[in-house]
Amino acid sequence: MKESRTLLIRYDEIGLKGKNRKYFENRLARNIRYALKEIEGVRIEKVHGRILGRVDRKDADECVQRLTFVPGIASISIGVSMEPDFDKMAEWGIGLIRPKLDNLGQLKFCVRTRRSNKLFPSTSTEIDFEVGSRIMKALSYKGLSVDIKRAEFVLEIEIGPQETLVFDNRVPGLRGLPVGSSGQVLSLLSGGIDSPVSTLKLIARGCRVHSVFFDNRTFLGRGGYDKVVRLAHILNRYQGGGKLYVIPFQDIQVAIRDYCSDANRVVLYRRMMYRIACALAESKNCQGLVTGESLGQVASQTLENLAAVSCVVPMSVFRPLIGMNKQEIIAQAKLIGTYDISIEPQPDCCSVFMPDHPATRSKIQELEADEKCFPWEDLMARAMDAVETINLDEPG
Amino acid sequence: MIYLDNAATTPMFPQVMDVLADSMDSDFANPGTVYSIGLDARRKVEQAREDIARALNISSTHKIVFTSGGSEANNLFIKGRCFPDKKVACLGLEHPSVRATLEYLRSFGNDPLTLLDFQTEGRFNLQGVSALSDNRCRLLCLSHVNNELGTVNDPVQVYDALRQSSPDTRLFMDGVQAVGKLKIPAEYWGGLAGYSVSAHKFHGPKGVGFLVYESKLSIEPCIHGGGQQDGIRSGTLPVPLIRAMSVAVKIVAERIDETQNHLRGLNQRLIQGLSDLAERIPELNIRFNSLDVDDLIRQSPSIVNFSFPPVEGEVLLHHLEEKQIYVGLGSACSANSKEPSQILKGIGLSDEEARCSLRVSFSINNTIDQVDMFLKEFAIAYENLYSTFKGKEK
Repeated sequence: MKESRTLLIRYDEIGLKGKNRKYFENRLARNIRYALKEIEGVRIEKVHGRILGRVDRKDADECVQRLTFVPGIASISIGVSMEPDFDKMAEWGIGLIRPKLDNLGQLKFCVRTRRSNKLFPSTSTEIDFEVGSRIMKALSYKGLSVDIKRAEFVLEIEIGPQETLVFDNRVPGLRGLPVGSSGQVLSLLSGGIDSPVSTLKLIARGCRVHSVFFDNRTFLGRGGYDKVVRLAHILNRYQGGGKLYVIPFQDIQVAIRDYCSDANRVVLYRRMMYRIACALAESKNCQGLVTGESLGQVASQTLENLAAVSCVVPMSVFRPLIGMNKQEIIAQAKLIGTYDISIEPQPDCCSVFMPDHPATRSKIQELEADEKCFPWEDLMARAMDAVETINLDEPG
Repeated sequence: MIYLDNAATTPMFPQVMDVLADSMDSDFANPGTVYSIGLDARRKVEQAREDIARALNISSTHKIVFTSGGSEANNLFIKGRCFPDKKVACLGLEHPSVRATLEYLRSFGNDPLTLLDFQTEGRFNLQGVSALSDNRCRLLCLSHVNNELGTVNDPVQVYDALRQSSPDTRLFMDGVQAVGKLKIPAEYWGGLAGYSVSAHKFHGPKGVGFLVYESKLSIEPCIHGGGQQDGIRSGTLPVPLIRAMSVAVKIVAERIDETQNHLRGLNQRLIQGLSDLAERIPELNIRFNSLDVDDLIRQSPSIVNFSFPPVEGEVLLHHLEEKQIYVGLGSACSANSKEPSQILKGIGLSDEEARCSLRVSFSINNTIDQVDMFLKEFAIAYENLYSTFKGKEK
């Protein structure tokens, strides 16, 4: 018989839900099955506020790796089923801790036991002590110490009525809510550092996030498009089922360049992007737009200019980065794996026709006057007719 | 498609592809093995080596080491000779694989000498030779043909000047843009301690090149391993790539007169055409960064580099791309960096002039009609874009 492992998957906020908790649990279990669908013989069970995964030993690490991309999970740990024997449990713990200790030189650890099998003769505290002291005896000379509050490694033991499980250290998950539990939104993805981070923020709040990219390859080449396609594929790993819509934007930019006032150009570009994104979102059953704007970061992101773009769409615009500074955003982009692609040099389509002195406080009346100078409805309709749709579940 | 970026790479000649395909099938044996098929592969490598030496008039005083291309050959010679503490100099307009290698030496406290004060027309002014002797430089690294400008440093002239005023300084040239465009006569080898070549720049395959070096010199290897190629460059030899490269070398050497005449015709047509456009379009000002001379000692006809502020080169490039016309921004290796070209800035261009430039580079495959088509589309794109960029001049 194959040797199996048990994955203990802990929820994040679902645990706080009331009557609709079951709905969220089912959604998360479904997403977990989807994330592990290519791995044979995986069994997912919902047990008392947690999800257990039974997997083959050789697949356990790969499963954990995949689950770190699934929103709604607080942490995952790999457990092994064994006899409730102190020596054996300690021996297993020593095997897990020794390589980490060799690597780090010193390590603080503790043992935490949950005993639901009340027939077991020792209490949780006694089990912690028995197993912990055996491990200390074997490894204290190498730099292992006990620290219950600030442990860097926690060996978890669960003594249940049917089986005893010993778990490796917890691997942190993405947290948040399971994808699909909050509906769909459309994110304006530019290829820069910010918009992938804002996209993931909404994914981790349970949304399925589709993306739209405004492409100006006549002026900028295909490099920006290729980059956004790669970013969108990375982001789709966190949700599955995402789509990327590519809108040709050069005719609109040229018209704004040629017929509108220089200083308002950037806000006018963005008003057109918002309008197109909104129309696209409505046609794709998305209930809001997502942008990577952060207050005051660039000229188009002042309070006045944010208001001047938001007012053209009758739809919620979510700006999850609005209060974050650039360093915080960069740190998150590195964490989610989009940063290295985002910093590849490639101008975005706003920078190509950037005026020397963009307005920081655009006036709605002036913008509306500018928009009377070019046939924006026609150009918008033509751009939307030429939309390219990329299914991100298919390999890029 | 009109491909005018032949300094970035060139399409393979059909004869080269035939040899490559055939050799991939038939020469799979490891040329380091001792059974007959391995010995056959080895014999073919040695034949290729001889063919290359003959085609480029390489004398018996020099040896050929096969590498993965020009960058590796540059690294191998410079590091292999000068690491860690032999003083080395360059003009400052070389390909990044030369400049970055010198910077690597700097990290070991071996500060390289840069001779930008002695550049004239994008070439090394021979008066700079005294600075080499003053600084006790053991090696001078120059481009034979500059990769962005096409300007030429003549090996004979530079070597004569070194022999007279700085006899302890040896000469290394990056020949990547020269082979197939300039003749390589036997007399060059008397003055060259090292010379690097890359096959894909003259219609050969990518991933292969070679270093020619004076055989009496000792070179420390960069890649250690099975001791192939006298231990200077370990690694199993890519027999098909080497054979295909030797075919490409032979073809370009045999056709060199025809090629040079052809490139001259294209070069003159382009320069004249751009000058005419500048007369016709009042807002177009062309500055030629490469030399407008019919003199192979100073300028290769294969490259024309020019600036046209205020329109950005990259935006114009993408407009031409829409018409399936492909030109270069500068070295493809640095084209991913949005910093203006260090080479153009090195010859005195402002950031704006450097950004507002293009490099057109020819091969024997190009035609006069293609140049005319380029000129026509360039003019349309320029006029279309001028209004976007006007008023942005710094």
